[in-house]
Amino acid sequence: MKVSLNWLKDFVDIDVDVHELADKLVSAGFEVEEIIDKASQTKNVVLGKIVKLTKHPDADKLQICAIDVGQKETVQIITGAQNVAEGDLVPVAMDNSLLPTGQVIKKGKLRGIESCGMLCSGEELMLTEADYKGASVYGILIMNGEKYPLGTDINVVLGNDDVVLDIGVTANRSDCNSVLGIAREIATVLGKPLRMPEIGFECEAGEVSDYVDVKVEDAQLCPRYMAAAVRDIKICPSAEIIQKRLRSVGLRPITNFVDITNYVLIEIGQPMHAFDADKLSGSKIIARRAANGEKIVALDNKEYTLDDSMLAICDKDKPCAIAGVMGGNNSCVDENTKDIIFESAKFARDNIRRTARTLNLHSDSSFRYERGIDLESQRLGLMRALTLVYKYGYGKIAKGVVDCCNADLTQKTLRVDAGRIDDILGIVVPRDKMVSILNSLQIETVLEGDTLVCKAPLFRDDIENANDLAEEIIRLYGYDNIVETLMDKGKQTVGGKTDDQKAVDTIKNICVNNGYSETLTYSFTSPRSFDVLRLSADDPARKCVTILNPLGEDVSVMRTSLAYSMMSVLASNVLKSVKNARFFEVSNVYLPESVPVDKQPEERERLVIGAYGKDENFYTVNEVVRAIIDKFGLKVTFARSKRPYLHSGKSADIFVGKFPIGYVGEVHPSVAAAFDVKERLYVAELDVASVEKYRKKGYKFEEIGKYPPVERDIAVTVDESVTAAEILACVTSAGGSMMKIARIFDVYRNASIGENKKSVAVNMVFRLTDRTLTDEEVSAKVERVLTKLTSQLGAALR
Amino acid sequence: MKEKIENLMNTALAEVEQAQSVADLAKVKVRYLGKNGELTALLRGMKDVPADQRPVVGAYVNTARDAITNAAEEKEKALKEKEIEEKMAKESIDVTYEPTEVRLGSLHPCTLVKNEIVDIFTSLGFSVAQGPEVELDFFNFQALNIPKDHPARDMQDTFYLGEDMLLRTHTSPVQVRTMLDKKPPIRIVVPGKVYRPDDDATHSPMFQQIEGLVVDKHITLCDLKGILSLFAKELFDKNTKIRFRPSYFPFTEPSVEVDVTCSQCHGKGCRLCKGTGWIEVLGAGVVNPKVLENCGIDSNEYSGFAFGMGIERITMIKYGIPDMRILFENDARFLRSFR
Repeated sequence: MKVSLNWLKDFVDIDVDVHELADKLVSAGFEVEEIIDKASQTKNVVLGKIVKLTKHPDADKLQICAIDVGQKETVQIITGAQNVAEGDLVPVAMDNSLLPTGQVIKKGKLRGIESCGMLCSGEELMLTEADYKGASVYGILIMNGEKYPLGTDINVVLGNDDVVLDIGVTANRSDCNSVLGIAREIATVLGKPLRMPEIGFECEAGEVSDYVDVKVEDAQLCPRYMAAAVRDIKICPSAEIIQKRLRSVGLRPITNFVDITNYVLIEIGQPMHAFDADKLSGSKIIARRAANGEKIVALDNKEYTLDDSMLAICDKDKPCAIAGVMGGNNSCVDENTKDIIFESAKFARDNIRRTARTLNLHSDSSFRYERGIDLESQRLGLMRALTLVYKYGYGKIAKGVVDCCNADLTQKTLRVDAGRIDDILGIVVPRDKMVSILNSLQIETVLEGDTLVCKAPLFRDDIENANDLAEEIIRLYGYDNIVETLMDKGKQTVGGKTDDQKAVDTIKNICVNNGYSETLTYSFTSPRSFDVLRLSADDPARKCVTILNPLGEDVSVMRTSLAYSMMSVLASNVLKSVKNARFFEVSNVYLPESVPVDKQPEERERLVIGAYGKDENFYTVNEVVRAIIDKFGLKVTFARSKRPYLHSGKSADIFVGKFPIGYVGEVHPSVAAAFDVKERLYVAELDVASVEKYRKKGYKFEEIGKYPPVERDIAVTVDESVTAAEILACVTSAGGSMMKIARIFDVYRNASIGENKKSVAVNMVFRLTDRTLTDEEVSAKVERVLTKLTSQLGAALR
Repeated sequence: MKEKIENLMNTALAEVEQAQSVADLAKVKVRYLGKNGELTALLRGMKDVPADQRPVVGAYVNTARDAITNAAEEKEKALKEKEIEEKMAKESIDVTYEPTEVRLGSLHPCTLVKNEIVDIFTSLGFSVAQGPEVELDFFNFQALNIPKDHPARDMQDTFYLGEDMLLRTHTSPVQVRTMLDKKPPIRIVVPGKVYRPDDDATHSPMFQQIEGLVVDKHITLCDLKGILSLFAKELFDKNTKIRFRPSYFPFTEPSVEVDVTCSQCHGKGCRLCKGTGWIEVLGAGVVNPKVLENCGIDSNEYSGFAFGMGIERITMIKYGIPDMRILFENDARFLRSFR
């Protein structure tokens, strides 16, 4: 909310520097986002008059100007502009001047002739047409007609004698979306009295009932509707002070009646509307719900289709305004208007909010209605508008006002134990301090015993309970008075992480210790990612949660796998010429039961691994997966994967029993190509919840015994298609309980072994805990292993 | 005789001394101390020594034998040591050469900061709570005193997934879920991803928050200040101070913005703090009694405080990262610098 310092001074004496005022507002809860002091941005620019123009001897396009700036001597300035003539009044940037663009002007020579400054354009002074007529003209700003003496500071000419504060008003303080509201807070923090806006006018145009008949049909959506009439109006530009103040807060002056409604909106915070009385059929104003499909062309010249959730302000036949949002063209004030009806109403804020959103139509008026207008402002706003009409002689005012009020205008009384305030704050605030602070905020307060009895004004409908009062008291008593305590009266609790949270930490640590760096990627992705991953049309991974209002198509669905995000990270690093990299991330995937989504999707935490580089292959990447599996004691099997985004020969799905818990593999070359990379990319994903579910729980002592192990190695020839897992399963089952370790330590291929054959060397370790094994026992076991390998896998001993 | 023995001993000792290898030494030992060695021969010749001199000569011989034996043992030890030294010298390698890269990965800087914050609060008795990111309007807004069509909804633009379903805009719905589920005393911290439709140098459509909630008897605004002050000293440095500024959040009353003294200039004023000496790091307040009541907790008996902060923002402040988007670029070189 922008407020002008001069405007504030209408209502409160401000005797502190603007920066000190800003600090005080901040400590009272009003963030000052910017202090706009236009005068300080333009320095040493004055009003001057061109007395003589001559051609530059060495440049066709340059002219030498002799400028009268109210000093004895004229000033010589060279200009390239062609729109100047002798006798013109112009803004002159003198030697060592500052322009609002930040540009500093110094004297210099142009084609050998001295130039002691610069003539300024509207653009160079950062003026728009609204600020000064002619400001947008290409060339120098011509200011003919100005009455100020030559040499007058341009800030004075432009009226830059005001400072504007841009104040952040929090959503609970809708009463401060106005100059008066801010002035009220300033009066409190400075300890000064608040002057209410000047009200006073005479009525000379009959009764308001001669002009309009108001009926509120939906009191819920329209708790209060007030109206007044003005006859024989004169449409003209507003008085200079009104124009200047509107401009200072960024509004463009239009004509007097529009300006007055805007002026009251900014000053009092009450949105106003002016109807052309003659355009209201039947001289009726009816506040009713719109009929479904009812249409209105609003003041923005666009047609809007209304429905019965919206409040319309209508005459006998048709909607004339979308209540609280925008007026209609069919009833607007124009140059032929004779009589007008002012509207000053309160509408239900949630309803205005919905209407504005549904129609996608937002205005200064709807902004304020959405935040809430108190029940006191309707009368004040109307009186203020009529006062301005009377003061400037814009028309004749009818006697009386219409007031359709269906709201309770009594102030609520709140009784709160003062001790309760102390309990909330943790300090004891002197009772007289509490009472004086609340009263300074116009919350009428007396102390009965130790009970605060408060009457909050209607504009403070946010004051409802002890906590609200505690906040009002402490923000003005000062947060510096809050001391530091450490929940001395609270109960001790045992904190920490759950086992599942600790498991995630463990998984992350394993990844880090294996050289993987953690990434952070968006949870949303592009629906096209499913095509990049070559998912079939009926792949369940395509079933995803869709964002209704995404920032873009590429971030419009919630991911159902982390593969695509990881591939994007890998590819982006390849494209940045990073030679090798290892990444991981633990994040959720979002798995809806059905689409469109009607209940919260299942959110599952997944680990994704990604790597590339010349030393990476399926087995190097699988190492970290196996490290996690080992750490959590999972009994897994690896089986060739059929995932469409993985290399069909170099990928595996990982199972615990029948349950898939993840996969590992090389990215399908076509998928990698879709990311514009030729490198081999590797990815793996593990379902964290499954890791936690199937993990080995705790540790148990297992006796190792003092008896020595016996080791045996065998080498067998098998078909290429026989897998390591099959060989080891066979060896282990034949080995029985005395076999403690079985592992493959070499795989060898050679022409002498035969085509499509390989030689596999297996190391076996046998041990008993209660006695030393005999050679015969071990040999018998090895024999059994060999027999089984031969019968089950067609192996031959080498 | 004595002279003879002494000469023999001296010669032997000199030979021991001169031995160049364990093999050389062995030969010397055999020559003097062996079965047919010279000293042994002397002993054998004892029978020719007059009986009265035998003990004296015997002692001489024994002394000589001991001296040679000891010297040989010493020498052998030294020679073996030397041989090992020589062997090791031959095996010497270039210890400055690094044939393989150190393969240590890294946690994301935001995770480092999150872990630090979580550790501080768990040590103060806070449990880590989590909740769904796809939330219902009730938990994200209504229960937190943000009714439908309330202007406070403008404070948090929202990604919608359906009529009542959305991506949570803050971690606060976990407060509601926890309070509905557990009885006080409650002390939780809630780290997690949150979503708002913003995308620029200081905003990301997905970011991480961590928030805390305490609900117990007799919890006050002073307790909030004490805990946050302790937290700020742990997270930044021990001289860090905090200050409260009034603010507004629908779910706390009173509500405050919390500033900490700038960790770079310690309050003198610098670019990081825009010359103010203070940096805004979190929002906090006394839990609004309406929220307690919405969650079935008697607000006459219990009170509490809540606070929340953006993990990315703290990460940027702590590590001097100028643009939030860097945190989401996932450049391997950037990430690995946090090893």
